[in-house]
Amino acid sequence: MKTILATLTLVFAFVWNASANDPAYESAMKKQLQAMKSIQSADESQAVTNGFLRIAEVKNTEWLPLYYAAYLQTIAAFRFEVNKDQYFDQAMELAKKAEKIAPNHSEITALQGFILMGKLSVDPMTRGQELSGQAMQLFGKAIALDKENPRAVTLMAQMEQGMAQFFGQGPEKACGMARMGLTLFAKEESKVTENYLMPTWGKREAEQVASACK
Amino acid sequence: MKAIFSFLILFVLIQGLGVSQTVLSGKVLDEKNQPLPGVNVFLKGTFDGASTDQTGAFQFETTESGTQILVFSMMGFKSQEVTVELAAKTQEIPTLTLKEEFNDLNTVTISAGAMEASDEKKSVILRPLDIVTTPSAVGDIVGAFQTLPGTSTIGNDGRLFVRGGDASEVGIFIDGMRVGNAYGTTAGNVPTRTRFNPNLFKGTFFSTGGYSAEFGQALSSALALNTKDLAKRNQGDLSIMSVGGGYSHTLANDKRSLTVSGNLFDLNPYQNIIKQDFDWERAPYGIDLELAAQQKTSKGGLWKVLARTETGGMQLWQPQPGRDGRGILVDLTNKYAYAQTNWRRAYENGWSLFGGFSSSHNKDFYILDGLNLERKTNLSHGKFTATYDFSERVSAKNGLEYFRNTYSETLIESAISRDFEDHQSYIFSEWDWYLSRKLVLRSGLRAGFSSLANEKWLDPRVSLAYKISNNETVSLAGGRFHQLPEERFRVLAQGLKNTESEHLILNYLYQKDGKTFRAEAFHKSYDELIRFEGILQNPKHIRNEGEGFARGFDVFFRDRESLKNTDYWITYSFVDSKRSYFQYVGLVQPDFAPKHNLSIVVKHFVAGLKSQLGMSWSFNDGLTYTDPNEPGEMNSKTGSFQNLSLSWSYLPRPNLIIHGAITNVTAHQNIFGYQFAQVPNEQGRFESIPLSQGAPRFLFLGIFLTLSKDKNANNLNNL
Repeated sequence: MKTILATLTLVFAFVWNASANDPAYESAMKKQLQAMKSIQSADESQAVTNGFLRIAEVKNTEWLPLYYAAYLQTIAAFRFEVNKDQYFDQAMELAKKAEKIAPNHSEITALQGFILMGKLSVDPMTRGQELSGQAMQLFGKAIALDKENPRAVTLMAQMEQGMAQFFGQGPEKACGMARMGLTLFAKEESKVTENYLMPTWGKREAEQVASACK
Repeated sequence: MKAIFSFLILFVLIQGLGVSQTVLSGKVLDEKNQPLPGVNVFLKGTFDGASTDQTGAFQFETTESGTQILVFSMMGFKSQEVTVELAAKTQEIPTLTLKEEFNDLNTVTISAGAMEASDEKKSVILRPLDIVTTPSAVGDIVGAFQTLPGTSTIGNDGRLFVRGGDASEVGIFIDGMRVGNAYGTTAGNVPTRTRFNPNLFKGTFFSTGGYSAEFGQALSSALALNTKDLAKRNQGDLSIMSVGGGYSHTLANDKRSLTVSGNLFDLNPYQNIIKQDFDWERAPYGIDLELAAQQKTSKGGLWKVLARTETGGMQLWQPQPGRDGRGILVDLTNKYAYAQTNWRRAYENGWSLFGGFSSSHNKDFYILDGLNLERKTNLSHGKFTATYDFSERVSAKNGLEYFRNTYSETLIESAISRDFEDHQSYIFSEWDWYLSRKLVLRSGLRAGFSSLANEKWLDPRVSLAYKISNNETVSLAGGRFHQLPEERFRVLAQGLKNTESEHLILNYLYQKDGKTFRAEAFHKSYDELIRFEGILQNPKHIRNEGEGFARGFDVFFRDRESLKNTDYWITYSFVDSKRSYFQYVGLVQPDFAPKHNLSIVVKHFVAGLKSQLGMSWSFNDGLTYTDPNEPGEMNSKTGSFQNLSLSWSYLPRPNLIIHGAITNVTAHQNIFGYQFAQVPNEQGRFESIPLSQGAPRFLFLGIFLTLSKDKNANNLNNL
């Protein structure tokens, strides 16, 4: 009887899954999200990016696969020896595509700011002036769109920290924002389930900013 | 129980039966037959796929069957689709080659003659920020360009002189629209500046020859300034300077933005503190009002308006050779207005349209030794262009232009007046042919007509560029250029025809990791130049009879990489130029074309001081002049010109900049020529007065404060 029940549950689970919105989409996303965690090289990153892009091809009304593809390109540019400008430009192109599907989305807006931070880091002396303002503005917009977006708040904290260091000002503002970011991350973590596909990255960055505060 | 069991078996069977797996594998190469890693290979409409590895190979399993489309895609490459019939357990796909798309990074750009300042493009020589941070420029756009190859610094003039050409041979455009009287009116020997503030522009395109058929009425050079797009935020910018002050306010939202600014300058307080060598009756002063507006139109177009009005003047005693006393009083008042509007839009179907209209009005009022003279210039310009991309290999830009130019000079007391009115029409067409990603040919034709000159003309232009490697390009450019003579001559001799020049330019450009090396050789011939009898102040028998040439080379090296926090560039330009022009009968080296020109600019950022320190040094080997006490024309040369300038920009807070600059730190005695008496003295000699600088040095101090909700905004661009 016990086995029967187990099989029944199994069958039921299968049937339920099949009738859910799109299990294939979800499982494909989960597979790539899992693979994302173990990226060690630019090639591996490209493989996962491609995975997300394949999903984006089929599910062309979903912004998330494009978002992750853009995010991975950005992270790859920061982490690996690649043509950084090209990677950031491609990331921006993907983020813009995601924005077309989901206009005025806090996560996409924050990611665009993050990409600009990357562009800035390639040549801070000449790009700093123009891009820091633009990035700050995007983070501001992302926060306005969703006050509970921990990534928007954290990225803003990072920028504030950089500015404060540059101008020799106190870290209070950056610290306050980082702490706020950490609170929001804790809140977000409580929502995360096995089927959670939304972005969750950024806690480490918030901790980094916060670690500089006493 | 049994039923459930058999149901389960059935279920598993059905699931299992449907699944016949196929393993797809293959290889992808690039155009050089090298393995291409990172290509996304997948079955269209499914999640099944894989990426190619370092050997260009891919392999993946699929449960799909039947006829499927296999897609090969990678950013920057043209996607390809292959139809596959999925039947066997393993299926080997024939090796495939992906072709790279044309883009800024991998496609050749024409670099002959051209120097771009932009944050967006790759082939830039100068960044917009450089314009405001070059010490010798003291915030003047043209001052920054004087540190670039192909230019000469004529310290008592201030305008842009390119490759043996005089200042009038440089055409200045804002958003493609011609600007009349782009420089402030000034008295002789007092250097002028560009009227327009560098913070209006997001980028510039400066060409020292061989430029596009889009630009006409410029014998030597085109300077195209492109205004900023939508402003990002609401802000106020306040400036307090040793020479005046101003305030600018910007209102912006997602759709439109508006900036209104007003500035006041007066050198009087400064000249009261710092002793001047010139004999000023009234120091230069001015007031200006400027408006810039941008609006996104509903379907992705952008509409811009720029308007500026200003008034200013000066009074100066100019000593006369062979005469005692203060000399002649030059009293100058200037009124200027410029307005333009333009609209541009790119359509998805490959068309880009542009339309614009501009109008410049300049009025100078002189009192020269008691004689009242008024001079008025109006220039209106209408332009429409349509660009069509036939493919990524072929594009064409076609345009129509119309100009109306009026000019008048009036002697007020005697009510004697003379004027002219000219209507010009132009049509141009320019085609870009990418024969490959490495080789591009640009061919253009410009046809013009002037009603006053009653002349039609045709200017063919052509350039060719070849990308030798990822970092190197060679370009060749040539063409014919026409320009109507200066207004002061046309008003006297209305039948004057176009002056002409022909350019031939060979350029080599190397760019890698923040290093740029550029070398260019050129030959330019002049024909139909203006000649006359008598002197410039009273020319007789004006005609198109002069000719000449300019040839030489220039080299430019910029390095933003090797030294930490340091950016520097070195420019050397050699110009061998001779022409018969004005009153000169034979071929002479003009007095605005020094042979050797050198400039060095260094900027160093000191994080500890929150400061950027700047240094610039300009040198040329002196200007020619005619000494009437010696036989011949242009028989003498002044000593060398040298100017060492330093600047310090200090950013104590994100929204506050304190900027100081000193030009000619060493107080080098620069002489730009000599003014000789019209008649010899009792000893039979023509007495002379050197044309020197207004003061050994110029000091500038400014405080720039940005008021915005965004605390990090600053107005570095306003320096």
